[in-house]
Amino acid sequence: MTTAPRAFFTQDTGAATIATALVGRVGSRWRLIGSLSLPIGSDPAALGALLVERATAADPSIAVALGLDHTPPDEIPKVEVTSHPAPRLALVAGSERALVPLVAAAARSGWRTSAASAEAVDPLQMSTMLLDPGVDGILAGAGEPPAADERRALGELGALVAAAAARRPEIPIVLAGGMAIQLGAFGELGESGRRPAPVLVASAASDGPRGGGLREVLTDLALPRDDARRALGGAANALADLLDRRVDIVDIGFDGATRAAAWPTNSSVTSGMDLAVVPSAGLAPADPDDEVVDRIADWSPGTTDRHRLRDRMRELRIAPWADAAGDGVALRLAAARSALGVLDRATPEWGQRPAADLLIATGGIWSGAPPASALVAVIDVLRRHGVVQVGMDHARLLAPLGSIPDLRERRAIMADLIDDLLLPLGTVVMPAGLRPGRNPGTLVLHGAHAGAEWNGASDGQVSPIHLQPGGLASIWLGPGASAVAEFRFHDAVRLGGRGRHFAIDVTGGLVGLVVDLRGVPLKLPDRADLRHDLLETWGTAVRAGADW
Amino acid sequence: MTGAASNVGLVPARSLIVEPVDVRFRLTPGDHALVAAGETVVVGAPIAERLRDPGLEEINVPDRLHPEPGGRWPGLANRRDGRFEGGEFLFTWRGRWRVAGGALSDPLETPCAGIVRHVRAGSSITVRAAGRGLRGIVGLGGPTRGRLRGGTERELRAGGLDVNAAGTILVVGSRVDAETLTRARAMGVRGVVVNALSSKERRDFLASEARQRSALHRLPSFAVLVLDGAVRRPLAGAVLALLGALSGHEVAIVADPPMLVFDVPGLIVPTPPVDLVRVRAGVHAGREGRFVEAIGARRFGGGTDVEACLVRFADGTVVAVPLGDLERFA
Repeated sequence: MTTAPRAFFTQDTGAATIATALVGRVGSRWRLIGSLSLPIGSDPAALGALLVERATAADPSIAVALGLDHTPPDEIPKVEVTSHPAPRLALVAGSERALVPLVAAAARSGWRTSAASAEAVDPLQMSTMLLDPGVDGILAGAGEPPAADERRALGELGALVAAAAARRPEIPIVLAGGMAIQLGAFGELGESGRRPAPVLVASAASDGPRGGGLREVLTDLALPRDDARRALGGAANALADLLDRRVDIVDIGFDGATRAAAWPTNSSVTSGMDLAVVPSAGLAPADPDDEVVDRIADWSPGTTDRHRLRDRMRELRIAPWADAAGDGVALRLAAARSALGVLDRATPEWGQRPAADLLIATGGIWSGAPPASALVAVIDVLRRHGVVQVGMDHARLLAPLGSIPDLRERRAIMADLIDDLLLPLGTVVMPAGLRPGRNPGTLVLHGAHAGAEWNGASDGQVSPIHLQPGGLASIWLGPGASAVAEFRFHDAVRLGGRGRHFAIDVTGGLVGLVVDLRGVPLKLPDRADLRHDLLETWGTAVRAGADW
Repeated sequence: MTGAASNVGLVPARSLIVEPVDVRFRLTPGDHALVAAGETVVVGAPIAERLRDPGLEEINVPDRLHPEPGGRWPGLANRRDGRFEGGEFLFTWRGRWRVAGGALSDPLETPCAGIVRHVRAGSSITVRAAGRGLRGIVGLGGPTRGRLRGGTERELRAGGLDVNAAGTILVVGSRVDAETLTRARAMGVRGVVVNALSSKERRDFLASEARQRSALHRLPSFAVLVLDGAVRRPLAGAVLALLGALSGHEVAIVADPPMLVFDVPGLIVPTPPVDLVRVRAGVHAGREGRFVEAIGARRFGGGTDVEACLVRFADGTVVAVPLGDLERFA
């Protein structure tokens, strides 16, 4: 008789929803038995019990094999992660110019930010900001070496921050770049262990790898070890390793968004991972200002009345799980697009890297939305030329599994679960260099599993499909199916390489093969009615080919 | 417990009554805290002096003083230059101290009795209030205190206010507009408890409140406590019953956290049945009924598959409702 557990729960406790999955050892592999996602405030024990009840009802023999018949749900082991509320960081610098890279680094490292420079505000306003009880950390930064416009203010700034540090011993202080020279102003406070929270020194803020040191320090301070968003980095890393592909995970959460990219070793690069946690890219901002409301209105097919939209956004903030059907779907997807846009702008270096081979959407927002609508929402905003497979973390397994500290164990479990982890949505082909208004060319699907349908045409068609300029279309290719898509363009385009004739391996999903010829970046009409018509047309085009 | 009854745990729950209640009062540098941690305060006791227009001074501190950041600067005697007399030490730079202070201040009075837990100069005072609280989603203005008076369960209009309401905190039901709020403030009403406040009315009221606060002669503190959201819907039955039981008693509205605080030791608050659920959103928004059972994923409008349950309403109809659209009080 063995005592090794044959089943465990994963639990991803978000700010709005709680997702639980039951994983069991079936044969010699771990498999996903079932999953459930409910609003936060639901009793987690009730979720676990319901999952076990459903698994037992569906297949009593599996329940017995997993020991579910004699193990109470609350005694089944659990791998758990939580999305913690984003803390607030007060940033100060000698000049407005020096503040910009600091804000950029902090805003993508899991912090909400309040910022002020000695150039723009007086010491009283700055002290008020630092002593605000809502502030959870202070970052004082300067260039390395400090520039002429900030050098004069650094001494006084150091004294001011040191005084605030003495009054707020419970919050961490980070001195970045040229501010590190002010460590002396902190006296004994600067010595490790003399106050409950540390005073740390980090490299200067800057774009790219050079600023990685500061971002790492800030991420460590903002996100506890069991944080769900942090764990997505581990999941991306393991997936890239297992699949030998570039993986991009995008999580849109109630209180912030996360982007995790990982890539395997190949002839030109060594494997690596990058993580950006952007609280300002949350689905439901706490206080939706005009800018937020206008951004959402741009994507909203319904009302464009600011007050009404703001009321609905406030309701979404108060009860994000409510009104998830009907009109609520459109509002959520509009808010998700807006959040994706903020996330994309906060991570500009993602655009400089080679495009991902696999794009994974995760978060409560996607699990309730129709698959085709979710896929269109993602590719409306995250636009990269090339070919990408899109999947969905439907059971919210990635974060809990990504939190397993032992890399070998994490890889082994994810390898077992690889077929269950992701819900395949399809393959998106987005060529570059198309001439606007000209007939792009044709597409033919080849292969044993090519059972394709072009916007309602007959199944199994292999005759050339004429691509529409500036359009978005889907071809039904079911989950598990694969085919070779042969594109013949009239003009030379970029699709990986440059040329007119491409043969691409594509795989299916709940949506199928999506050919996106709309251009990068996406240009929407200024007039609201035209914009909404166009969004509706694109949505219909993709839904027409999808199997739902 | 039956299977159905245990499944009611799937419906998100919120607490009807919160206890204990820690109320935070914000301070800014220069404000003078009049209490210390551990002290007991009574209703209406001044706990701080808030500066109206704080400023910054550079001073040379006499050797006999040993200043530290956050400490009080007693000021210099017989200064006649119109500048402030005392203040709060902020930091020292090049041998001189920067001090925050100002000439005019307003007293900050606690609207509830309790024990001072923390005093952080220039930051906040936290009071553990005696009594319990009913949580709202946002508190605007305040803090304030008054006798709770039940009003209409529907929308209250400006013309519906009367002078008898002066000194009271009004429960106005589903929704209220900014004009009614400003008129209530002018008539001496101390606060309003409302279920929903739209963004436009909220913005207009806050603008009016800011204008009022900047006036030299200010009206007594006035607060609005929003209980539920921004879209009109009736008060929950359990909340209505609690407010009914509190009617005629002295209560306080505080903004941080947004809450109605009451200290009525003998108050009996009926416990809502465990299977009583309220619909927050959708076509049945505002209705209450009994949870029947969870029925698994169902497809609703917009092609959405969500977990659902059956709810029996008072008229006997049983309908499938997304679990996310429901709430219950625990």
